[in-house]
Amino acid sequence: MSKTVYTKTNTFIALQYLFARKKQSFLAMIGVLLGVTTFIVMINFMTGVNDFLDDAVFSGSPDIIIGKDVKKSNSLLGQGSFLENYDKIDLFLEEQQNIKAFAHQTISPAILISNSKQFPGSINGVFADEERLMVDLERRLIAGEGFQSLSKENTILIGISLAKRLDVSVGDSINMILPNGKNKRLIVAGIFSFGITTIDNVRTYVSAKTIQNLLGYTNKITNIHIKLKDRNNVDVKNDLIQKFDGITTEDWKDSNKTIVIGNKVRDILTWSVSFALLLVAGFGIYNILNITVIQKRKDIAVLKTIGYSSNDIVFIFLIQSIIIGVLGAFFGVLLGYGMCYVISTTPLDTSDFIIVETYPINFKLWFYILGFLFGVLTTIFAGYFPSRKASKVDPVTIIRGI
Amino acid sequence: MILEAKHINKYFTEPERHQVLHDVSLSISEGELVSVFGESGSGKSTLLYILSTLDTDFYGDLTIYNQEIKGLTATGLTDFRNKHIGFVYQFHYLLPEFNVLQNVMLPAMKLSLKSKKEIESDALSLLEEVGMKSFAKRPAYQLSGGQQQRVAIARALINNPSLIVADEPTGNLDQKNSELIFELLKEITGSKNKAVVIATHNSKIYHNSDRSIEMIDGVVRL
Ligand SMILES: Nc1ncnc2c1ncn2[C@@H]1O[C@H](COP(=O)(O)OP(=O)(O)O)[C@@H](O)[C@H]1O
Ligand SMILES: [Mg+2]
Repeated sequence: MSKTVYTKTNTFIALQYLFARKKQSFLAMIGVLLGVTTFIVMINFMTGVNDFLDDAVFSGSPDIIIGKDVKKSNSLLGQGSFLENYDKIDLFLEEQQNIKAFAHQTISPAILISNSKQFPGSINGVFADEERLMVDLERRLIAGEGFQSLSKENTILIGISLAKRLDVSVGDSINMILPNGKNKRLIVAGIFSFGITTIDNVRTYVSAKTIQNLLGYTNKITNIHIKLKDRNNVDVKNDLIQKFDGITTEDWKDSNKTIVIGNKVRDILTWSVSFALLLVAGFGIYNILNITVIQKRKDIAVLKTIGYSSNDIVFIFLIQSIIIGVLGAFFGVLLGYGMCYVISTTPLDTSDFIIVETYPINFKLWFYILGFLFGVLTTIFAGYFPSRKASKVDPVTIIRGI
Repeated sequence: MILEAKHINKYFTEPERHQVLHDVSLSISEGELVSVFGESGSGKSTLLYILSTLDTDFYGDLTIYNQEIKGLTATGLTDFRNKHIGFVYQFHYLLPEFNVLQNVMLPAMKLSLKSKKEIESDALSLLEEVGMKSFAKRPAYQLSGGQQQRVAIARALINNPSLIVADEPTGNLDQKNSELIFELLKEITGSKNKAVVIATHNSKIYHNSDRSIEMIDGVVRL
């Protein structure tokens, strides 16, 4: 005949105890609130930054890059940088299950000269139809047109920061000089921004045909870019190295080491700080309840003699910490949302690394639910042991007065 | 017969195993006020804790209200106590977070056979009987010892139990209050037809009880 312990009376008794210690209960609630708020703000902000960087990197870069192994070739320029027999590589790539698409590139060092400025860098000669599958440029366009404009063969697409440095806008012309001395006048057809300086500062696209013609080698390419179906499986990289001599391969983890590490650091930071705060909050509740149980041993003994069972006592004390936890977590979620909102509207000075107007921050419902659950679970856990202790109080020993 | 105890033997293991109650047998009927009289340390409290089912670690048989106590589970025991036994302690032990009325209501709210309204009116009429109705909304800690003890008696009666166990209920009170409390307990026995057991070393109570049992070193002297 185990009676239910979730009775109005037990809840009433618990509330009475909570209100008898308003200040401590309130402080304990604030502890949970801070833990939950911190968790929500940090996880939304950190994953916001992670997602932002991932998006910029993965929508702007291939997963694997195949290039010529320049250590094994005699000259740095011209003939030496071209991939030999790439039709065989193409055939191999077409057979691979995990490859979504691949694109050929003819990349060359060049100097870009505008009316007032010049920029030495590397120019990407691309095939518009292929490159479209590598890079989602349309979404990133700030002005002008995307890859389709490269069909004119005298056009160039450049990153926003580079455009600013060269002081050009769409329709302006730029002179491009290649290492062999050949030069060509190009019209800026489009300006794009990925939001990270590693791309926006240096990236340019021209038609591969244009570069090939200037270099005097038609149909020669320097690189193959690959997009994978499953980005985390880069086995094809090893297969390529084994099968083909004189090539190098680089995957997205190699090319974006700082970002990959940054993401990890941010994850660790989020979880460790939130965990530490919830631990402190939990310990606070544990402490308060423990002291209460010790101070209230007589009352617990009396409750037991007048008919309250051990389970009733567990409930009476556990519900106190659950109430603290639920209230703290609830207001923590609200405050967390408020702070996330403020952060999302805070203007951000463009840093050396990210180019955005406001801080990137996620608003994921799941994180709010998770924060709430963490808050409540912490308090349940913290409240459990003092509650058990309370239920073990032996009324005879206490009433005897020893 | 409300209570029947047969051959109760009780041992404590601290500091070493020693016997505190020796073959105590005793039965109490409705409307009877029985006092257990004896010096301090003679085993009165120990016996009362057993009779009130708080202590089940003893040898012998105890039947209350036709229920064999040793056959009850832990929760069964709490429920049984809640329903059938009222307890009054030497130190009044009201719960200070609650007001007088709430203290009296607590056992009935646990039993939850009646609505809160009914319990409240029951509690108020009991408080009236013990002369504490005007204090109903006062916090328990504001009351004097004698007043607290009267409230404790009201609390012991709220579930209309058949047995009231009082361990030195006047031990901590002055003469006037002692008499008042004893009169109350006597009245309960008479008018409500309950069985009351009082442990005491007050000879006045000893002489004014329906029946008295004297304990010497854990042995009942008849
Ligand atoms: N928990 C205990 N452990 C060991 N001995 C105890 C314990 N409780 C009581 N006693 C001993 O049992 C005897 C009877 O005590 P008690 O029943 O409190 O007597 P009374 O109520 O008549 O003063 C005393 O000698 C006391 O020291
Ligand atoms: Mg005693």
